[in-house]
Amino acid sequence: MGSVYRLTLRQLTGKWRLAIMTVLAALPVTIAMIMLASSDAPSVGEFEAAILSAMLSGSIAPLVVLAIAAAAFGNEIEDKTLANLTLAPIPRWQIALPKLLATITIAAPFIAASAFATSHVAFLGDARATMAVTVSALVGVALYASAFVWLGLVSAQAIGIGLLYIVLWEGFFSGFVSGVRLLSIRHYAIALMHGLDDRRFAASHHLSFGIAIALSGLVFGGFLLLSVRRLRRMDVP
Amino acid sequence: MSAVIRVEGVSRWFGSVVAVSDVTFDVMPGITGLLGPNGAGKTTLLRMMTGLAAASRGSVTMFGQPVRDNPALYRRLGVMSEHETVYGFMQGREFVRMMGRLRGVADLDAAVDRAIAFVDLADAQHRPMDTYSRGMRQRMRLAATLVHDPEVLILDEPLNGADPRQRVHFKRLLQQLAGEGRTIVLSSHILEEVEQLADTVLLIVNGKLAASGGFRAIRAALNQRPYHVRVLCDAPRQLAAEVVRLRSVDAVHVDPDGAVIVLSKNVLDLQIELPRLAQSSRIRLRRVEPLDDSLESVFGYLVEQ
Repeated sequence: MGSVYRLTLRQLTGKWRLAIMTVLAALPVTIAMIMLASSDAPSVGEFEAAILSAMLSGSIAPLVVLAIAAAAFGNEIEDKTLANLTLAPIPRWQIALPKLLATITIAAPFIAASAFATSHVAFLGDARATMAVTVSALVGVALYASAFVWLGLVSAQAIGIGLLYIVLWEGFFSGFVSGVRLLSIRHYAIALMHGLDDRRFAASHHLSFGIAIALSGLVFGGFLLLSVRRLRRMDVP
Repeated sequence: MSAVIRVEGVSRWFGSVVAVSDVTFDVMPGITGLLGPNGAGKTTLLRMMTGLAAASRGSVTMFGQPVRDNPALYRRLGVMSEHETVYGFMQGREFVRMMGRLRGVADLDAAVDRAIAFVDLADAQHRPMDTYSRGMRQRMRLAATLVHDPEVLILDEPLNGADPRQRVHFKRLLQQLAGEGRTIVLSSHILEEVEQLADTVLLIVNGKLAASGGFRAIRAALNQRPYHVRVLCDAPRQLAAEVVRLRSVDAVHVDPDGAVIVLSKNVLDLQIELPRLAQSSRIRLRRVEPLDDSLESVFGYLVEQ
């Protein structure tokens, strides 16, 4: 597994990709600082809805993860080097899992730093709130990574489809169709954040902490299994 | 001796396009050449033989086991695909080492040294692969294919892009590997390439197995093929009238542009008789050229047989 993991890290850490991720990760902190500096400072609820939910969990985290995860298999399929891995005498999960872990390894520091800095600034150094925001953002990264790594394996248009998913599903439908929230990574992350610091954040009306943990596990494991299944059945170019 | 690879009734189609149609053959130890024009279905067939692609119908087994979804079999199989893309950021040695580790090689450093020495790239092993020439990349890929000492090698167009010196070197390597008792299947669209290397030839045309066997049998079939030869001269009608009497000629006609088209099943004799006839008849030959000497037409003929 170590070979695939290290190979994927090297493949996915191009300068341009890292530069774009840095800019994206800096956005929530910057906007949070602007909001808090204004005379009309938002309430916790308003800040959560605008910055933590819509921006960090619903836009920045999935965009950063998509940029990396879609390429984890997508680039190898495109340049036809995937056969180097699939022709190895190892179970397919030993290819899919390190690819997923490498994706998380690259994306997590950017999103964690962004979530930490944003919440630290917004909640004036409240450690529990900062931890809740950071941990929930990291869980979001892992879930998006699992979904988008699979997407990169099944479609050559993973970036386009992923963008549509982020804008329409996570951004639009999950905002006002309550049933969709049961299938929304953004809302799992927010429910986890609420559960980790119920003192600062009001209890989520849509998902309980326990259900969010269970659904997060299902999504992470489910997409990983789908990736393994796909690797076993696909025609490798 | 039982077959190392058994391909039974294998077909593969993509939508309405049939890439490989009901192909059956066995592969024994030694070098087997998969010969056919571009687009004949060789790569699709090889991909099914390696388990990289599924057969729409039929089965492929290696050492009696199915190759599809059977990763354990890759301990005994080395595959070099036609795609020359490599991890350009990696040094050659790193690449071979990674492939060895993925394949569970026990004494990794010794195996890597041996594989790189075999392809004679020890001097370049610490250079990034995107600085390699095409031939060097192919040889380093062969080293990566050999690092786990596989019993079976499947090589798709391995001589593509190699210059003549590299070709000679590559052929020597393959003959050495076959001499060690390995089973090697290599594809090519170049007749002479396969002739020099392969003990057995599988001729694939339009996704079908057109012929199989020793190269002499294939050559004999090719030599019986009628050729069209186009002759330009200063007296086409006179030449046509006289050339039709030659034993090596089966039919003659004169094209509207004045070219004499000769059909012959014995081109070797025609090459000798035609100049003699022209000389004795005082006809000046300006050009003599085969009309259908492309590999595709040769394969097409064999398929019709």
